[in-house]
Amino acid sequence: MVKSNTDALGVIFPNAHDSLVPELVAERTMASVPFGGRYRLIDFVLSSMVNSGISNVSIVVKQNYHSLMDHLGSGREWDLTRKRGGLNLVPPYAESNVKLYRGRVEALASLVEFLEDQKEEFVIMSDSDVAFNFDFNELIAAHVASQADVTVMYQRSVIPQGLKEDNYTLKLQDGRVTELLTNDYRPGVQNLSMNVYIIQRESLIAMIKDASIRGLLYFEKDILARNLELLNVQGFEYTGYTARIADRKSFFEENMRLLDPKNLDALFPENKPVYTKVHDNAPTRYAMDCHVKNSMVADGCIIEGEVENCVLFRGVKVKKGAKVKNCVLMQNTVVEAGAEVEYTVTDKNVKITADKKLSGTDTFPVYVAKGHTV
Amino acid sequence: MKECIAMLLAGGQGSRLYALTQRLAKPAVPFGGKYRIIDFPLSNCVNSGIDTVGILTQYQPLVLNEYIGNGQPWDLDRLYGGVHVLPPYQTATGSDWYKGTANAIYQNINFIDRYNPNYVVILSGDHIYKMDYGKMLDFHKENGADCTIAVMEVPWEEASRFGIMTADENNVITKFEEKPKEPKSNLASMGIYIFTWEKLRKFLIEDEANPASDNDFGKNIIPSMLASKEKMVAYHFEGYWKDVGTISSLWDANMDLLNPNVSLDVWSDDWKIYSRNSGMPGQWIGANAVIDNSMVTEGCRVEGKLIQSVLFAGVKVGEGAVVEDSIVMPGAVIEPGATVKYSIIAENVVVKSGAVVGERPEDMENVDDWGVAVVGEGVTIGANAKVGPKAMVVKDVKDGEEQW
Repeated sequence: MVKSNTDALGVIFPNAHDSLVPELVAERTMASVPFGGRYRLIDFVLSSMVNSGISNVSIVVKQNYHSLMDHLGSGREWDLTRKRGGLNLVPPYAESNVKLYRGRVEALASLVEFLEDQKEEFVIMSDSDVAFNFDFNELIAAHVASQADVTVMYQRSVIPQGLKEDNYTLKLQDGRVTELLTNDYRPGVQNLSMNVYIIQRESLIAMIKDASIRGLLYFEKDILARNLELLNVQGFEYTGYTARIADRKSFFEENMRLLDPKNLDALFPENKPVYTKVHDNAPTRYAMDCHVKNSMVADGCIIEGEVENCVLFRGVKVKKGAKVKNCVLMQNTVVEAGAEVEYTVTDKNVKITADKKLSGTDTFPVYVAKGHTV
Repeated sequence: MKECIAMLLAGGQGSRLYALTQRLAKPAVPFGGKYRIIDFPLSNCVNSGIDTVGILTQYQPLVLNEYIGNGQPWDLDRLYGGVHVLPPYQTATGSDWYKGTANAIYQNINFIDRYNPNYVVILSGDHIYKMDYGKMLDFHKENGADCTIAVMEVPWEEASRFGIMTADENNVITKFEEKPKEPKSNLASMGIYIFTWEKLRKFLIEDEANPASDNDFGKNIIPSMLASKEKMVAYHFEGYWKDVGTISSLWDANMDLLNPNVSLDVWSDDWKIYSRNSGMPGQWIGANAVIDNSMVTEGCRVEGKLIQSVLFAGVKVGEGAVVEDSIVMPGAVIEPGATVKYSIIAENVVVKSGAVVGERPEDMENVDDWGVAVVGEGVTIGANAKVGPKAMVVKDVKDGEEQW
């Protein structure tokens, strides 16, 4: 049989790290946080998987997942509407005596039967708080070459402020993980885990079954960290572009960072498109006498006023005489005539009424919640 | 069965668009930033509730076929119905190209019969407009018509370019003249017909049996139905409609999107125009860019000056480049310092630094020599080369050369 697909299946955890951005996930998951003008965070890992030839992806959702379901639909935009594999959304069973998943192990426990029926040799697990564009075949090759039991993807990075209580770092010896630290607070550059793992499907099933019996919750703390002598856990350093959302500030900064075309090229290489839900917006209309500088703009916007250093999502309207500077305006935000907005993040469907002035700072941007009128 | 299906005539070469239709059929010509012309009639069908569309192709169908695909972008991937591309085919008794518009439908009688429709809408693939065919069908039924033709009033001086109807006070068509020298009316046919299928079927078969016929709707079917005293009514359409079969009308129609006084609105959500998505990230406007009264879409990078222009997906306008009153189609690159004025730049063209394409009519010594310059698909205009107004460029222009 011709193997046109990569011999791995994907498992994505969309609710991981929800607590880092409480405002943004009030009505959504981390995975469905809007990012980069027309995307949701999950688009990046999902597109990377698809572009790597993975056509069997399970999304293990926990809560607040309506927006994610709406976004993913049947998976068609990612070419995941398949008879074999495709997109598999796994919600928790609603049983009165069962609590929501706590750790990754509990979440995976509901997938065991499914995993047993699959054919792929490897499982790639990922959270969705980091936007990257990566060929997972590199990870598979490294995993196979090192004969590891588990390979963890990491990047060399300072631990972001927002991640102080939500991170894993690795101590490495010749590529092998000798220590896996939880909530590392050391200053300076560390081997910060990206929470992307590859493991043989059969071994994952065995691990989960074993962990369930012992009542273990966490894949990292309870399984990996305690067994580093028994298990060959390898680190794989990712050196490409990442945008990690660790708090409101980094959400703002990571959007802004895309205004540098070098970063834009790094996250969106021409041969590796990032797929997302299509809205069929018309092109953006730049009206007579508008002023737009150094901005990234999605389709369907109508710009009559001034826009500088901004990321505008789909369908944003900036009326005549309005001034918007250093802002991230999400889908269908309307800035009415004469309003002046600076260092502000508006969620979906926000309206800033005429002549209002709204101003945050670069370290603490104002946030306007979904559907609110200012 | 289906009450009403649509047949979309998309086989035309579009020879008057010359440089733009060397390798693609006219309905596949890009329009309005992220569309192709055919998106308008197709979206009209879906928005009108018609879920079965046959697209008749003949000339250079590759791009069009790929674009239509399974019809999913228009929600026309259906278990029963949906969109079907219908090229001419071979039969036991031989094979024929589509000889005329009526013959194209005649050759697909079997396709239509599969759905056993009461009514068939006949559409062209080269018009830009938004129209609810459902309302037109209601009108057809209310009048108990055999054929309803959508018409609109055109300026009298332009009437001789159209098929002209004369209708009585009850909208019953009494006379039809194809491009009359001295028009008796200014009601022009928009090339949109609704037929009661049973009737049309009969006339198509009769027409095919007549060796003298051109097998054309305007020239043959409509006149012979009139002669047979079938009930034919005119459906008045008010709103934007434009035939984009020529370079100047294609340029005009794109510019109409930039004119707030023109009623063609692609931004409203209640009658969306659907298209196949480019999948590119948002457009990026540089720190030194100047942008005024323009339309820009996904994947564009604008660092130069963009005035009164329409950019398609993935177009790059380099620093110091000037694009004015122009249409730049997907993937084209206008390098730093190049100038493009009053031009249509086709897909994947490269205009190198210092090159000048087109000219403003005001800057011409003799305005009669002016016209929109057109650069065909994939052409490279060399550094400091010049392409004159009205030029039709289909081959690379070397550095420093001039082409008129």
